[in-house]
Amino acid sequence: MVSKSAGVPVVFDKIEKSFGVVRVLEELSLNVEPGEFLVLLGASGSGKTTALRIMAGLETATSGRILIGDRDVTEVLPKYRDVSMVFQSYALYPHKTVAENIGFPLKVRKVPEAEQKAAILESASQVQIEGLLDRYPRQLSGGQRQRVALARAMIRRPSVFLMDEPLSNLDAKLRGHMRAELKHMQSALGITTIYVTHDQIEAMTLAHRVAILEKGVLQQLDTPAKIYNDPANLFVAQFIGSPPMNVIRGSLAGNSFQTDNAVVTVNPTGQIKEAILGVRPEDCSVVAAGKGSIAGSIYTTELIGDHTLVTVQTAKDKLTVKAPKDFVGKDGDAIGVEMHRDHLYVFDAISGERLR
Amino acid sequence: MTNATYKLEKSGRTFLERLFEPPAIGKMSPVANVTAYAILLFWSAFVLFPIYWVVITAFKDAQTVNEGPYFIPFVDFEPTLAAWRTQFLSDPFCDFYAIGRQIVLLAYNSAAFIVSPVVSLAPMEPQICKVYLAYTNSLVISIVSTALCIVIGSMAAYALARIQYKPKFGNIVMFVILTLVSIVASTYAGVHWLASASVALALFFLLARAFGKHFKGQLGNGDILFWIISQRILPPVVVVIPVYMMFQAVGMIDTHFALILVYAVANLPIVVWLMHDFFAGLPIELEESAQLDGATRFGIFWEIVLPLTRPGLAAVTLLTLILNWNEYIFAVFLSTSKAQTMPIMVAAKNAGERGILWWEMCAIIVVMIIPVIIMAIILQRFIARGVLLGAVKG
Repeated sequence: MVSKSAGVPVVFDKIEKSFGVVRVLEELSLNVEPGEFLVLLGASGSGKTTALRIMAGLETATSGRILIGDRDVTEVLPKYRDVSMVFQSYALYPHKTVAENIGFPLKVRKVPEAEQKAAILESASQVQIEGLLDRYPRQLSGGQRQRVALARAMIRRPSVFLMDEPLSNLDAKLRGHMRAELKHMQSALGITTIYVTHDQIEAMTLAHRVAILEKGVLQQLDTPAKIYNDPANLFVAQFIGSPPMNVIRGSLAGNSFQTDNAVVTVNPTGQIKEAILGVRPEDCSVVAAGKGSIAGSIYTTELIGDHTLVTVQTAKDKLTVKAPKDFVGKDGDAIGVEMHRDHLYVFDAISGERLR
Repeated sequence: MTNATYKLEKSGRTFLERLFEPPAIGKMSPVANVTAYAILLFWSAFVLFPIYWVVITAFKDAQTVNEGPYFIPFVDFEPTLAAWRTQFLSDPFCDFYAIGRQIVLLAYNSAAFIVSPVVSLAPMEPQICKVYLAYTNSLVISIVSTALCIVIGSMAAYALARIQYKPKFGNIVMFVILTLVSIVASTYAGVHWLASASVALALFFLLARAFGKHFKGQLGNGDILFWIISQRILPPVVVVIPVYMMFQAVGMIDTHFALILVYAVANLPIVVWLMHDFFAGLPIELEESAQLDGATRFGIFWEIVLPLTRPGLAAVTLLTLILNWNEYIFAVFLSTSKAQTMPIMVAAKNAGERGILWWEMCAIIVVMIIPVIIMAIILQRFIARGVLLGAVKG
């Protein structure tokens, strides 16, 4: 078993990147703790992959610095950075066997043959592919290729792991399985890991901390729990959570939020003409018509298994409410939605900022 | 809404419709099958007949050629080895040791060429029959020039596929002007060419450094690639006279070196152009991954890129080899006797006082076809598909 590494810190210091006039990253600053599993989460085009490639040295930043440990690597070639990367497409060398693929980093370092063999076997057994060493990538399934890519990344024990959506080409069941293995392996090895994904479930389950990017701007950097329970702005609130947070348009006067057919008391106070009230589906409940905070009618109901999702049509918005699995209601029935003031989020509709 | 249904009935087909209907997607209808095979058969006969004709004519003599078209050996005419005998045995040097002597000659002459700056050795004169000489010349010239082409061309193509070059148009114009000025100075003003060339080069670096950043017009890889292929757009006839004058000026007419150089230059654009597409089609992640794994640029090229473009490389090698093997126009100008190649030998059979010696010509052609077939068999193993399978998701 490989001994646990102490891990090195990684710093993105005011990284800027533009392709021509398009700004892909705007002053991205991130401190990654030693041995931390940091997930860069964002939709496509948010700049998360660019940030990772700048870290790897495959792209150069327009301005800013990259630090690995106490070393400034901004101008350093990729191979001297001591990082290894798992690509979304795995990037296995198709003309080399699994063993040759895994051993390639050691081969270019001219490690003695016997030592290479031992290291390949150790790396391969860590991802349970020691039986496949003589095969070629084309003879492997998606999950096995994924493991080969991981083994190749691990074999030279880098300071930093970079992973670019490594699980997105796997089917749903395998993805869940690999997620758990990845998490276990990372904590066992203790190597600082930066992981890029657009999948919020992966982000929430794998990360020690999640950095949410949108249009090249860092929206929030926090633990998964804080990201979920205490979103910094409307984007984060809507991006995280499935089904996503309900939003109700209205205005805020003092601590009462007014929408077309209801007034809801909230915790933050302020005077905003265009405000948005956010509430997660599990933080509200359906009650009999005439009761609750907002009145509406049932638009549709979906039985998920352990619960039922009820979509309620109010005056202007549709709200999704998590109800017990034995909920019964006909489409069009009048109904009320009850919300608790401690679980409500208020945002400025124009800036998207959260009011606290 | 009407109650009409719109069904296609299988039983309602006419005989003609059945003939023209394919049994499945990916299969052909009976009519299409028959037509396709008929066309293929006709075309095969069309393509193979000349080869058959060449082979049988090589075993005829003047009488059987001139008397009329005979096509079936032992039935129409009695095959003879007359052509082969005159070609390969009549010459006093055409004996069992001819090939060995030619190898010794080649080795000695190349050694003489290499040491020529230090010791002047008189090159050995060929003492073997013309066909052996031409044959070995052809082999050496086409193999060496093809190797040069492939090595230089594939590296150039890879660079153009992966590195973005942005030469300034102004710099190029400046370079051309300075080159012209230095040529004029050394030709008409009596300046030593070394002096004028070094002054021009120094001036170019100075001016490029001073004004380079002010030039707006920029060229890209596409322009460079087009510039390279544009050198192959003109037929070789256009440049053959200047090329002849150049080699005459340096006293290299009728040398292997001249032909190798000219063939390599002439076919380099094709190699660059074709290989560029193969390299550009490789998934770049493989090279990025190798880069992160610690490989050098040359290591990536050698270990990752070349093995993956092997089918393309084999095809381009075969094409270049055949082009060089069959090249005539440069050979006819640049070689007189020692460096003569096979195509010249073939053409020479057309120019005697005895008319066209078809049987001797065909004997030479048969010998000439053999190495091409061998190369094609060797290389077609590599021209297989599916090398990239499993590289990226799939």
